[in-house]
Amino acid sequence: MTTKDMFSKNRISFDLKASNKDEVIKELIQLLYDDGKIIDKEKFREAVLKREEEFSTGIGMGIAIPHGKSNAVKEASIAFGRSNKGIDYESMDDKPANLFFLIAVPEESSDVHLKALSEISRKLMHTEIREKLFKVQSFEEFIKIFE
Amino acid sequence: MKLVAVTSCPTGIAHTYMAAEALQMAAKEMGHEIKVETQGSVGAENVITDQDLKEADAVIIAADTNVDTSRFVGKPMVEVSVKDAIKDAKGLINKALAVKPKERKADTKMPVVEKKEKTGVYKHLMTGVSFMIPFVVAGGLLIALGFAFGGIYVFDCPGTVAEALFVTGKGIFALMLPVLSGYIAYSIADRPGIAPGFIGGALASGSVFSGQFLANPLASGNSGFLGALITGFLAGYIVLGLKKVIKLPKTLEGLMPVLILPFLSVGIMGLIYLFILGRPLVAINTALLAWLKGLGGANAALLGAVLGCFMAFDMGGPFNKAAYVFGTGTIVAGGSPIMAAVMVAGMTPPLGIALASTVIAKNKFTEAEREAGKAAWALGVSFITEGAIPFAAADPLRVIPASMAGSAVAGALSMIFGRKLAVPHGGIWVLAIPNVVTNLGGYLIALVAGTIVSALILSVIKKPVTE
Repeated sequence: MTTKDMFSKNRISFDLKASNKDEVIKELIQLLYDDGKIIDKEKFREAVLKREEEFSTGIGMGIAIPHGKSNAVKEASIAFGRSNKGIDYESMDDKPANLFFLIAVPEESSDVHLKALSEISRKLMHTEIREKLFKVQSFEEFIKIFE
Repeated sequence: MKLVAVTSCPTGIAHTYMAAEALQMAAKEMGHEIKVETQGSVGAENVITDQDLKEADAVIIAADTNVDTSRFVGKPMVEVSVKDAIKDAKGLINKALAVKPKERKADTKMPVVEKKEKTGVYKHLMTGVSFMIPFVVAGGLLIALGFAFGGIYVFDCPGTVAEALFVTGKGIFALMLPVLSGYIAYSIADRPGIAPGFIGGALASGSVFSGQFLANPLASGNSGFLGALITGFLAGYIVLGLKKVIKLPKTLEGLMPVLILPFLSVGIMGLIYLFILGRPLVAINTALLAWLKGLGGANAALLGAVLGCFMAFDMGGPFNKAAYVFGTGTIVAGGSPIMAAVMVAGMTPPLGIALASTVIAKNKFTEAEREAGKAAWALGVSFITEGAIPFAAADPLRVIPASMAGSAVAGALSMIFGRKLAVPHGGIWVLAIPNVVTNLGGYLIALVAGTIVSALILSVIKKPVTE
């Protein structure tokens, strides 16, 4: 299990349609659902929103990492989406977010997955990685960033 | 500069690590060193060691969970939300480095003795005792208050506030030995030690029905403090032993902490105590209590004097703590004469020094020592024997004997007067509460006499300073 296995071609969108926070969460959840990673969309959405209530996962710098831990999740996985117009995500720096990583974690998950997630979280803090994420056009290019 | 930091967020999936990375990047850029412990869903990683802590100039806690900060006491520290570290890690580092360290208790110009790393048996014992103290304090005070409101037959006034306080106090007393035993075991074997440790302490204290089991036919009563100490250590090592012996396939490893260790360790603990250890321990404890009860006159004075010497000999070190732990162990409802002697003897060393350095023999102390002497007044009346350490470290051959003499006098007088103390700490501040100490006047005489003896001896033997 390596970091990049957390992603899949089926769970990536380089042009999100959503125009607000609620929609973007729904759109990303749909990606996870269509790929069979979650079994109950509504239940998982509740977990994500509950987490957002504590404080927004819009960490600034154009990035948001909504995440939820729920038994509606079959297997730890991430959906990635990019919004080219930017979405108001109530981010810490009050700027719109463009890059979204929706992280789904089952109630009981292995350390391997959690370690991988922590690696990804750390990577996102680096400017050069964020810049690349803004530019990539294909899954192959995308996954290279995390290799 | 070197920093240490802890990051932690509620789900422990993303922010914990982002904050850690942000801090590391910022520190690198600013030319500082940093070690970040992440307390996320995988558990604590990159854990801060004692060595790291010693070298650290400042501590950053970026967390939205409860992070135990007790290990960082005395270090400059900032505590913020995890998102603040992500948002402005550099600012946070600057803020941490700008924080002044919390003031030390004694004057920092004085030589400060480096405390030795507590290790082994001593550390386990002190962990147990430190967890137990709140139970003893609350119990002692509540029972004393119960007596204060309800009179000596408080247990005969059902439905009154006095009885409620009394019962609550008795209740927390009943938890005291299980907590002691449980946390000794916790110190040895970590979390799995708690269950067998608690049951061991409960068996020793008689708060479960071991009394009936053991009473028939050989012994009656409980094994008290002594028993709880032994069950605590036993429980800890039982768990360590089980962990070594039991080898499970990877897939079943998850069962160890939730099923196998608790079941086996608690079962073994109970069997060992009830069939092997219980009787001799109960017998020893009963004999010890009878001996203490029977102590009178010269013997009691001698015990008080010896305890006093222990308290003053190393001021917060192993001897002091040994006497202190012994004292706390003798507290029962109504108070303990031993605890009374121990507390008064622990108050006189800083008080004696304070009296000598700020009143009687000012010229024999340096400016800095006189300043510290003022603080020693406050520390002494609060029963913080450690207040005498800076003086003892600077001039041990004179200060320690003088302190021991004063403490011996105070301890012996307290025993002779038969004063009983119901709480294990608090200095003069708790004495104002009715029934915390019996016959306050006598107790104060012991305190004042010890202080004066110590101060006079010190004033005579100390050399004048040439400034």
